[in-house]
Amino acid sequence: MPTKNSLDYAYYPGCSLHASAGEYDLSTRKLFKALGIGLTEVPDWFCCGATPAHNVDELLSLSLCAKNLELAEQVEGDLAVACAACFSRLKFTQHTLEENSTKRKQVETAIDAPVKLDGKVKHLLEILARDLGLERLAASVKKPLSGLKVACYYGCLLTRPPDVPNLDCIEAPTIMEDVLGAVGAETVAWSHRMECCGANFTLSRPGVVIQLTNAILESAKAAGADCVMVGCPLCHGNLDIRQKEIEGVYKTTYNMPVFYLTQLVGLAAGLSADQLGLDALIVNPLPLLKEKHLL
Amino acid sequence: MSRIGVFICHCGENISRTVDVERVAAQVGKLPGVAFSTDYKYMCSDPGQNLLKKAIQEQKLSHIVVAACSPRMHERTFRKAVEAAGLNPFLCEMANIREHCSWVHEDKEEATAKAIEIVGMMVERVKKNRVLPTITVPVTKRSLVIGGGIAGIQAALDIADCGHEVILVEREPSIGGHMAQLSETFPTLDCSQCIMTPKMVDVANHPKITLYTWSEVELVEGYIGNFQVTIRRKARSVDEDKCTGCGVCMEKCPIKKIPNKFDCNLGMRPAIYVPFPQAVPNTPVIDRANCTKFKTGKCGLCQKVCGPGAIDYEQEDTLVVEPVGAIVVATGFDLYTIDEKPKGSAIKGYGEFGHGKIPDVIDGMTFERLASASGPTGGKILRPSDGKEPKQIVFIQCIGSRAREKGISYCSKVCCMYTAKHTMLYHHKVHDGQAYVFFMDARTPGKNYDEFWRRSIEEEEAVYIRGMVSRLYQKGDKIVVMGSDIAVGVQVEIEADMVVLATAVQPQKGADSLAQKLGISYDKYNFYSEAHAKLRPVECATAGIYLAGACQGPKDIPDAVSQASAAAAKVMTLFAKDKLEREPIVARVKEGGCVGCFACKKVCAYGAVEEKEIRDRQGNLIKVVAYVNPGVCGGCGTCQATCPSKSVELDGYTDEQIVAMIEAL
Ligand SMILES: Cc1cc2nc3c(=O)[nH]c(=O)nc-3n(C[C@H](O)[C@H](O)[C@H](O)COP(=O)(O)OP(=O)(O)OC[C@H]3O[C@@H](n4cnc5c(N)ncnc54)[C@H](O)[C@@H]3O)c2cc1C
Ligand code: SF4
Ligand code: SF4
Repeated sequence: MPTKNSLDYAYYPGCSLHASAGEYDLSTRKLFKALGIGLTEVPDWFCCGATPAHNVDELLSLSLCAKNLELAEQVEGDLAVACAACFSRLKFTQHTLEENSTKRKQVETAIDAPVKLDGKVKHLLEILARDLGLERLAASVKKPLSGLKVACYYGCLLTRPPDVPNLDCIEAPTIMEDVLGAVGAETVAWSHRMECCGANFTLSRPGVVIQLTNAILESAKAAGADCVMVGCPLCHGNLDIRQKEIEGVYKTTYNMPVFYLTQLVGLAAGLSADQLGLDALIVNPLPLLKEKHLL
Repeated sequence: MSRIGVFICHCGENISRTVDVERVAAQVGKLPGVAFSTDYKYMCSDPGQNLLKKAIQEQKLSHIVVAACSPRMHERTFRKAVEAAGLNPFLCEMANIREHCSWVHEDKEEATAKAIEIVGMMVERVKKNRVLPTITVPVTKRSLVIGGGIAGIQAALDIADCGHEVILVEREPSIGGHMAQLSETFPTLDCSQCIMTPKMVDVANHPKITLYTWSEVELVEGYIGNFQVTIRRKARSVDEDKCTGCGVCMEKCPIKKIPNKFDCNLGMRPAIYVPFPQAVPNTPVIDRANCTKFKTGKCGLCQKVCGPGAIDYEQEDTLVVEPVGAIVVATGFDLYTIDEKPKGSAIKGYGEFGHGKIPDVIDGMTFERLASASGPTGGKILRPSDGKEPKQIVFIQCIGSRAREKGISYCSKVCCMYTAKHTMLYHHKVHDGQAYVFFMDARTPGKNYDEFWRRSIEEEEAVYIRGMVSRLYQKGDKIVVMGSDIAVGVQVEIEADMVVLATAVQPQKGADSLAQKLGISYDKYNFYSEAHAKLRPVECATAGIYLAGACQGPKDIPDAVSQASAAAAKVMTLFAKDKLEREPIVARVKEGGCVGCFACKKVCAYGAVEEKEIRDRQGNLIKVVAYVNPGVCGGCGTCQATCPSKSVELDGYTDEQIVAMIEAL
């Protein structure tokens, strides 16, 4: 009798992964397939409301997430989430509804269904580092990323606030470094890995975003990094898509490719540039990868 | 037939606000066996107690129930009053109608009904109370003090000055504790060494004090007045009697570069060392882990140069057993080390501050060593990384303290004051330097404390920024401090040359295991618990054990010294009598029913259960039964709950009494 694969997940890509971050979606699916991890997209999932909903209407924000959590119940397995903002909102909803029965009742009325909170919501990082495990991850490596110096960028949402995402230590996490270490890359110690990139101000207050992202890129460069790795499409947008603009404002050049975590791990797992959607990145990573003999 | 007297207290309005006390008195008065029942505004007051005494005599009462607050509060008071009126004190019980009733209810009808039931239960219970004779035990008039910081030193000197022998046990090679490390002390800025070392010498010279340094408490047996303490004297490798303290061995020792813990690892020491020049005793210790002789068998230089032949590589740990009547625990504190995320602890670490990674991010104690005239820099404020004088220095308060999310919610109490002191010392030493302090708020409740803090701002030019720091990072040879100034509502960044973190005060490592040896309780942070936060602040709940200094909670020197003298006074009170009276709430074995399974012996936390042989007249062994030593029994009742044959009972809490209470409901 075939044993059930414990590494089967419901998959919540989130809107960005179906739009500007298509390469994150593509690389996630390809990588997980290569690692033997099952992903089944949640049927009929819709926007979780990040990033604006919770600033405008808390009930709406909670209800959007609660409904998505309910939809996810149809698929067996924990819920795998790629975007740090979706991850944060879903975790927040679970946390809030767990603690506050009044809000829970309001949400149940709004979505016309009982709220279920026992399903586990996991960021892709947790699945790689803990469920698959660093040892198995290391064993799957076909092409170690040796010589590649990576600045792991967590941003503000992956670990914060205390007691909500419970992904890792709130202020000094190591999970990204652990994952990259397992696939042979070198990670740099740098100062801005937990600073905010300005995420949802990207359209409304670009000036703020440019200042914040410049500090991040400057710090990564000063630490000797070749590239940055992220686990969030919003961070990615700010650091990658806006990089030329930042260089222009600050009269400097970074030329710092910004990878999704699944792209770097996928590279180590032997996937090709096409399978990982590397051509979709704005700062062209190919020269760097060729120089390091990784392509 | 019993003639029970019931006394209902109003507790001002604490009880009478929600319980109709007069109705309770009237209702309870009708219960069989109750001969007298009344209510009064403050039963615990002098007139209240007199009312009780008078009623006992006039009404010829045989048993008493006082319905008032918790027995933890006033059981002693009322039992004393009852005794003064000529009744056995254990024929008096309290019914708790305050904590268990008036304070937790709002509806007067319901609360009154409940109060009547509570009192009714105690009436039925007290009928089954027996006269219990007071137990007396002899007192050994010697005491043990654990920990030789300022608190332990003060307690030891006070007790010894009263003429009682003291055994002072210190884990480190020298006494002195943290105060010996300090430079100058708030609020007067007198030199710590100058006020501390004379006391250390007094300890060494006192005819009544036996000092065991480099020693630890291994085992504590017995009970108040009669403890047996086993002390492990760790091998020093130097014979204390022969050593003259000349120091030649330390000079000649070829291993010179061991970081000295006393200097917060800034200075170096040899493998044979005293932690600091004023150490008491001035006898070195060989650090065996770093000594070449112990590692490879070669060297042996110190033995060759030691004139009196004091070096003894063969020395082994020895165990000494000391009988004592009282114990003062004064094991002090440690600073929270934020660079290591403590394994398995609820405390989450402060990796974002780079402590342990950025060399010029130091803690408060390290700053004390830099500022100390006898410290590794001779009192110059210099950066550990390159020995340069820092011109911009940032102090950050409340690191670890008052951060619920990170696992510690308490205030460490001394950091506001010592940070103010640090800014002053800095300003005195680096005239062209600027000190900044990030703080949440300044807590300076103490005599001349607020004035001291104000001085650091008004005269010593420290810039105080109200707000916390989110992150520090190294940028070139500067440390960028990112924080917020909430008074102005802006983010601030300071490029500092050095950063000093006021890390939280925590109990010493191993405080919990010592507590378990002593059988005393501790809180979730491992601070030792006093018997009552307000009224018994220096006593442990475990009789005969007292607390002094920072082991009980963060404290500065004046507080630690006051508490130490208070603990000494408690020890002296105990020693004032030759025999000690103790409550007869102890377990008794009914030997007829005991089957000798000794389930009780296994569960007794006090080690009170012994094995007793029952023999017939010819001396033939009939059976072995359990025997509870009344001097040792803690009265917890665990054996009673465990015994499968119901053969052991706690006096004052017999099954009969409990069943009577339940049946009254
Ligand atoms: C940076 C800093 C600056 C300070 N500045 C001032 C100041 O200016 N003015 C002021 O009033 N206060 C100041 N304080 C507070 C002061 O240090 C304490 O109030 C004082 O040291 C408390 O004394 P203690 O005896 O309780 O503890 P400690 O000084 O910690 O002494 C405890 C002793 O017990 C020993 N010990 C521990 N465990 C065991 C064991 N299991 N067995 C045997 N021995 C053991 C230890 O080795 C130590 O010698 C400062 C504190 C800090 C951190
Ligand atoms: S051990 Fe010997 S050499 Fe060392 S201090 Fe004592 S007497 Fe002097
Ligand atoms: S548990 Fe009961 S029966 Fe067993 S030894 Fe103790 S008193 Fe006797």
